[in-house]
Amino acid sequence: MSSKWENIQKRSFLESEARTRALGLVDPGTFTELAGPRHRISSPHLPLLGEAVEFDDGIVTGVGLIGKKPVFVASQEGRFIGGAVGEVHGAKLANIVRMARKAYDEMLASNPDLPEEKRPAVIISFDTGGVRLHEANAGLLAHAEVMDQFQDCKGKVPIIALIGSRVGCFGGMGFVAAASDVIIMSQFGRLGLTGPEVIEEEMGKDEFDASDRALVYRTTGGRHKYIMGDCNVLVADSIAAFRGALQEVLGKLYAEIAEMSCIGSLEKIQYQLKLVDLCVETAPKDAKDVWKSAGNENPDDLTDMPLDEFLTTVKRLTDRY
Amino acid sequence: MKTKKKWDTRKTDYLERMSGAEPYINNGKVVAAEDTINVLEAVIRLFDRVNIEGNNQKQANFLAEALIKCDTQRIHDLYMVQSAVPLPVHLDMFEVGIAKKLDFAYGGPMGGRVAEAIKNGKLELGAIHTYLELFARYFIDLTPRVSLICAYEGDADGNLYTGFNTEDTPAIVEATKFSQGIVIAQVNKLVDKVTRVDIPGEWVDMVIESPKPFFLEPLFTRDPANITDTQVLMAMMAIKGIYGEYGVKRLNHGIGFNTAAIELILPTYGEELGLKGKICTEFALNPHPTMIPAIESGWVESIHSFGGELGMQKYCEARGDVFFLGPDGTMRSNRAFSQTAGHYACDMFIGGTLQIDKYGNSSTATATRVAGFGGAPNMGCDAKGRRHPSDAWLKCGAEFTSQSEYLGPMPRGKRLVVQMLESFGEKMVPGFVDELDAWQLAKNANLALPPVMIYADDLTHILTEEGIAFMHKCRNLEERMAAIRGVAGFTEVGLAAKSTETKALRDKGIIKTPEDLGIDRQRANRSLLAAKSVRELVDWSDGLYDPPARFRNW
Repeated sequence: MSSKWENIQKRSFLESEARTRALGLVDPGTFTELAGPRHRISSPHLPLLGEAVEFDDGIVTGVGLIGKKPVFVASQEGRFIGGAVGEVHGAKLANIVRMARKAYDEMLASNPDLPEEKRPAVIISFDTGGVRLHEANAGLLAHAEVMDQFQDCKGKVPIIALIGSRVGCFGGMGFVAAASDVIIMSQFGRLGLTGPEVIEEEMGKDEFDASDRALVYRTTGGRHKYIMGDCNVLVADSIAAFRGALQEVLGKLYAEIAEMSCIGSLEKIQYQLKLVDLCVETAPKDAKDVWKSAGNENPDDLTDMPLDEFLTTVKRLTDRY
Repeated sequence: MKTKKKWDTRKTDYLERMSGAEPYINNGKVVAAEDTINVLEAVIRLFDRVNIEGNNQKQANFLAEALIKCDTQRIHDLYMVQSAVPLPVHLDMFEVGIAKKLDFAYGGPMGGRVAEAIKNGKLELGAIHTYLELFARYFIDLTPRVSLICAYEGDADGNLYTGFNTEDTPAIVEATKFSQGIVIAQVNKLVDKVTRVDIPGEWVDMVIESPKPFFLEPLFTRDPANITDTQVLMAMMAIKGIYGEYGVKRLNHGIGFNTAAIELILPTYGEELGLKGKICTEFALNPHPTMIPAIESGWVESIHSFGGELGMQKYCEARGDVFFLGPDGTMRSNRAFSQTAGHYACDMFIGGTLQIDKYGNSSTATATRVAGFGGAPNMGCDAKGRRHPSDAWLKCGAEFTSQSEYLGPMPRGKRLVVQMLESFGEKMVPGFVDELDAWQLAKNANLALPPVMIYADDLTHILTEEGIAFMHKCRNLEERMAAIRGVAGFTEVGLAAKSTETKALRDKGIIKTPEDLGIDRQRANRSLLAAKSVRELVDWSDGLYDPPARFRNW
């Protein structure tokens, strides 16, 4: 299949590798990869452990355009060690965010009246289980650096998270995604902190059966996260659908985008605490109990109904509380 | 002086055993679940041949759990004759001494424990059979005295509804009951009137409503999300180089991702080659969820199934033109008939394997697991009794070069038997080997024969990511071994290939690479799959397919 931009649009986001996603999310012909495979910056740690390296260390970073807006893109590759964040991978991620913020500072310094539509944004397509255990210290440090960069972007550069790839977004990267301004997911995307297998290993199969994929998805999947309010936009599983949602979000003013974030103000924290109270009050045994609390009379029907119907039918906690 | 010989000892024995169970039988043939152990202890005797129903799909697991709780003073050294031993309880039976001997067809996940039990003398193995072969012996020398079976519904008269998962039940019950044996059924539900009489009440002695439904394994469900680009390439080669080439209409697919990939590119690549209606019209096949797109696209005229597949029941019932439904509207599978169909009425078997040796013998056995092959060998062999012709069968027979060595000029067809195998499997274990692990297993587990799934003389095609080897076109063993080397990639076997020899075989059409077949490798990727996830299978089925929880990724 040709990798022409038009063909990429129709492709399943879930099925697409990191580079295809990066290429397809921005306008045709505008993507330039930075620190790409030709530069051969690979992990210095993996060879010591006898593990194979990849020349992009499992992440594609670069710049492109969406309309007039310069976008700084990071796209993780779950097929390389589960998209885990090692030293180089993490440095590429932190630096693409840093570049976006520096670009913003320079652009605004030379032209304080730069219209919003031309101001930079960051998009991160997550496909990761979190820190790479082979180089855990460097990987964890990278998480902190990325969060730091996120903070520096506040008030300047919006950060949009896209989650709909095979591995999902777990571990420390779950925190990172939660610290972004907007999360766009498909129903196949999964977002969480501790991954299902790890919960099962630590707490036992009775607590969480990781082989029960229906359970895993209704606890961490896109539909659930949408009901919870963690995910702002739920889209179909194609690159075009993710791109469409991105265009819509990036068409807003920065202030509107920042308002979509789950964190960042006392009000938002109070809302989060309200959800904790609700949890204590109702003691849900299953995600479906939460869906019921959100006002969905027949939570059983929500898992299987087609996406369009789901989006028009579903009641979200954000509507209610 | 002629002594008066008794000719009804079986009957007398049956009545005597049943009288022991009498106190626990109420309201016709109903036994309460809590009396299960009592009735088993009443009707089963030392050394009895006992069948616990179960195969690679459904399991009479409640009765198995009850049997192991019986008093080992009263019941021990049973001779188990049963299709499969895939549950831990089946092997526990040998550990505690309830059972001693075993004749079976499929060990599945318990293969390792079977080998271990043989080794430490807990289990005496008769033989590893195919399903059909074992059923045959039920009617000759391995007739069960007591059979413990399972059904969806039962009534007080003993009538059973086995429905979608009828599977082995008719074969077991017929052999047992018509030799005056005892049949005890666990049913998911006691009802006033069964949905359909699959087993007549007269043939059943006791009916027990089990606390939980019988265990069902979705063994034939393959998640399209896990199909690789290489598997797509091999599927393209299969369709263009074998299905299309021979015009294979009637066939069986083995379990696995290789054949799932084929099923999923029929509506895309197959359609593009213009093969719709010319191939894959009739199957002996379990209701594979990955068949849904091909069925919905109108490729398939008929499917008869060995068993039912969890989650596929509603879909099958809604596709009555394809599946075998009863007058009540629900499907009935039947392993004995479907295996017979697979053996005699199919032109091709295609499936995966674990190892192929340098001679072309193929096996899924490993050194420490006695797993058995279920039904594969019955489909993966040339049916020597077959007399009816078909185009695919005749064409393959005409190409079978060494046939004239035995038959002279007499024409005869040949079944296509295809093994698909990547040169390196999981964890980079080579698929092509000098000697099958089956030899080591035979030594470890004291078997008379190395367990071979498909023998080299039945195998007509080997399909790897390198290409197809047309084994039956070879003149002799030497040429066959060269053909295997030519498609065995970078394995030790493949590295022994001489390029001139391989080239000569390509010129003769004995080896065909993707290029020889005119297949564009660039196109060999997952985008050809008609469904890339279980969710898409559900969508193809209009929501009729209800996948088990573990396959739901949304």
